[in-house]
Amino acid sequence: MMHIPLLKYKTKKQPIAELEDALIYRIPLQSYRSTLQPLVKIGDRILQYQVLAEDVKHHFAAKIHSPVSGKVIAIDENYISLENDFQQQKVLTEIIDSQQLDIERFVQVLKDYGIAGIGGAEFPTDIKYKVEDSNIKSLLINGIECEPYLTSDYAVMRHETEKLLKTIAVLNQIFQPQKIVIGIEKQHKELKKHFEKNFKKHPNLPIKIHLLPNEYPQGGELQFIKSVTNREIPKGSIPTNFGYLVSNVGTILAIYEALFHNIPITERVITISGNAVSTTGNYRVKIGTPVLHILQELNIDAENVDIVLGGPMMGKEVVDLNSPIKKGSGGLLLFKKQQKSIENCIECGYCVDVCPQHLMPMQFVKGYQEDQNLLTDFNLNHCIECGACEYICPSNLPLMQSIVLGKVELQKMMYAK
Amino acid sequence: MQNRRFSPFVSSKNSINKVMFDVIIALLPLCGFAFYTYRIWFLIVLGSALAGAVLTEIVFSGIFLKKWKGILDGSAIITVLLLVFTISPLTPWYVAAFGGSCAVLFGKILWGGVGKNKFNPALVGREFMTVFFPLVMSSGDIWSTKRIRYVYEVEWFNFIPNKNWANFFNELFFVPTGALGEYSAVFLLLGGMYLIFRRRISWHIPTFLLVSFLLFLWIFEDQNLNYSLGGILLGSIYMATDMPSSPSSPTGKSYYGLMIGVVAILCIQFGAGFEYMSYSILILNGFSTKINKIFMPRTWGTKIDWPKKIEGVFLLTISVLTVTFAVLSMHYYGYIPYLIYVYIIYIIFKFNFSFSKKLHQPI
Repeated sequence: MMHIPLLKYKTKKQPIAELEDALIYRIPLQSYRSTLQPLVKIGDRILQYQVLAEDVKHHFAAKIHSPVSGKVIAIDENYISLENDFQQQKVLTEIIDSQQLDIERFVQVLKDYGIAGIGGAEFPTDIKYKVEDSNIKSLLINGIECEPYLTSDYAVMRHETEKLLKTIAVLNQIFQPQKIVIGIEKQHKELKKHFEKNFKKHPNLPIKIHLLPNEYPQGGELQFIKSVTNREIPKGSIPTNFGYLVSNVGTILAIYEALFHNIPITERVITISGNAVSTTGNYRVKIGTPVLHILQELNIDAENVDIVLGGPMMGKEVVDLNSPIKKGSGGLLLFKKQQKSIENCIECGYCVDVCPQHLMPMQFVKGYQEDQNLLTDFNLNHCIECGACEYICPSNLPLMQSIVLGKVELQKMMYAK
Repeated sequence: MQNRRFSPFVSSKNSINKVMFDVIIALLPLCGFAFYTYRIWFLIVLGSALAGAVLTEIVFSGIFLKKWKGILDGSAIITVLLLVFTISPLTPWYVAAFGGSCAVLFGKILWGGVGKNKFNPALVGREFMTVFFPLVMSSGDIWSTKRIRYVYEVEWFNFIPNKNWANFFNELFFVPTGALGEYSAVFLLLGGMYLIFRRRISWHIPTFLLVSFLLFLWIFEDQNLNYSLGGILLGSIYMATDMPSSPSSPTGKSYYGLMIGVVAILCIQFGAGFEYMSYSILILNGFSTKINKIFMPRTWGTKIDWPKKIEGVFLLTISVLTVTFAVLSMHYYGYIPYLIYVYIIYIIFKFNFSFSKKLHQPI
């Protein structure tokens, strides 16, 4: 792991601001490892919080709900487009009694309300929380936002503290963990006091704050678990099998809205920042809001900049300004375009030093370009794609390109067999 | 798909130039000591080697690699400095120029340019000098430099009342014998610490090299082994740590350092003369790729297959020792030149049929 200048000062102090609703919403159908099937047709009138699409076949992705009431105007393989009628007519739902929940009912709530890991991967939260009988050792709340620039989790912890603790209290009652830990970075240590003040309202919670180093990628699930519990869990395993329930603070907030207000994930907090923008801040934005709408609302000029959804280390480039905010988008960042020239690898080994998974990333570049055996020999599939290697590389090697496309090659090889 | 930008969208301000610049900074004080001791003699050797290298880099990097600005990355300058640091101030100017030129051409360019070399270019250059100018390079005369010295000793620590201690410290800072880079043990170490502090080298290679070397030295104490402390420091801190030709994982680096120490002792013990450091580093350079594979770090969440790893390390060690004894036998019978001839033919063929076609690949 390594230290990255985090550049969070730009938005850290700012409260969570609201944005005007858009006329058109584009609801993403791609999530985690699946494509959702639409449950509505073009022309349908829909209500706010109505289920729009679901992964009917195998549930590899959480359901998605409508952020507004209005009309379905288009459906393609990636998006359902809605026209907002600004009436905010909501679907009727039965009130959940959070005191009476058992694991099974709670998991059903998570599923019905489309709760997914909003730290980035959008892993369906109900799968994570589906444990046979409750032998949960620890409930770990991940407040580590190791991506530079992003402060949306920070804003949630700072301004929605009580909501988080209320939800944690419910989780505590359902899963009865031996301890609850909220992990935050040392750079946000003022949050520790803030949380501890609020703990007084919940005297029965076995909860404490754990300060972790400002390293990247400290917030990766595996790295987070290791730092808090000293247990190293292999990639691809589900933490609950080891007795750990791990959730991002944003996900906890989403669970709060579901439990206490019957609201599915239809909005989230995002950070707008970057080196090419002066209008920065943390905003509450509806899922499906097109990037263009946000830029127009905030009067941001997007000429000649790179626009990124998510964090600068793992986010995705926005090619089409109509692409929407997804459940896992923690930020909308604008960067000045920069030209990187690729030099020869000098085998300095910096990528090996910083790799959180202890891999040798430079071998993947070699492997991708000429010898696929290297991809398997050097365990490419254990890579979590955090981008630390390419960040540190003095030669600007196309490490992430080799890794992402190399994994595609490996998949193809597997199917060929 | 082709124009897709991949994350990350921020990057560190690391660059090859910065890495090279730090190495040059670490080497500058040693240049100072060489100049302090031999003045014009040092300048002649350095200047001619530099001229040879720069000219070769500009011309052949341009022709073969299509990189006309290759000289700007700074690697040729480091190669020349390191090469000059291993030779005598009495080395004739044309031999130095030849060495600098061969180091760059056969040590780097024909491998495909900076970063792609399997062997330390400076040491490759040095071997070329030894093979093509054997009379000059292996004569004892070249090392009798007393008559051209401007400084014989320093008295910086004579204020210490105890004469032995004063001498000890004086000599730690300055001894005017040996090759041009070996005069100041303290500044060799300080440069190394600077590089470790700047993360341009890791501590593993020098530490394990020195520990294993000194350990075996102590075991064979009664043999009166002939070595130079400056040479060992120069080799372990600056030569063995050359990035492209050394392994990349911490355990790999440790093994690599350890084995260089072992092979260096064997080379001294079995009469490799002045070449012990060059031989040991070059031999281990050849095993770097293999070491990377066997000593790859333990992947997160996985267990090491110990029987397989131990077998790998065992066979690797046997190979290293076998090659060492082969090289020492060749040295004994005077066949090393043939090894260099084979290397020349090999690298030319390899460049022509393979490396030249991979120039666009960064690794």
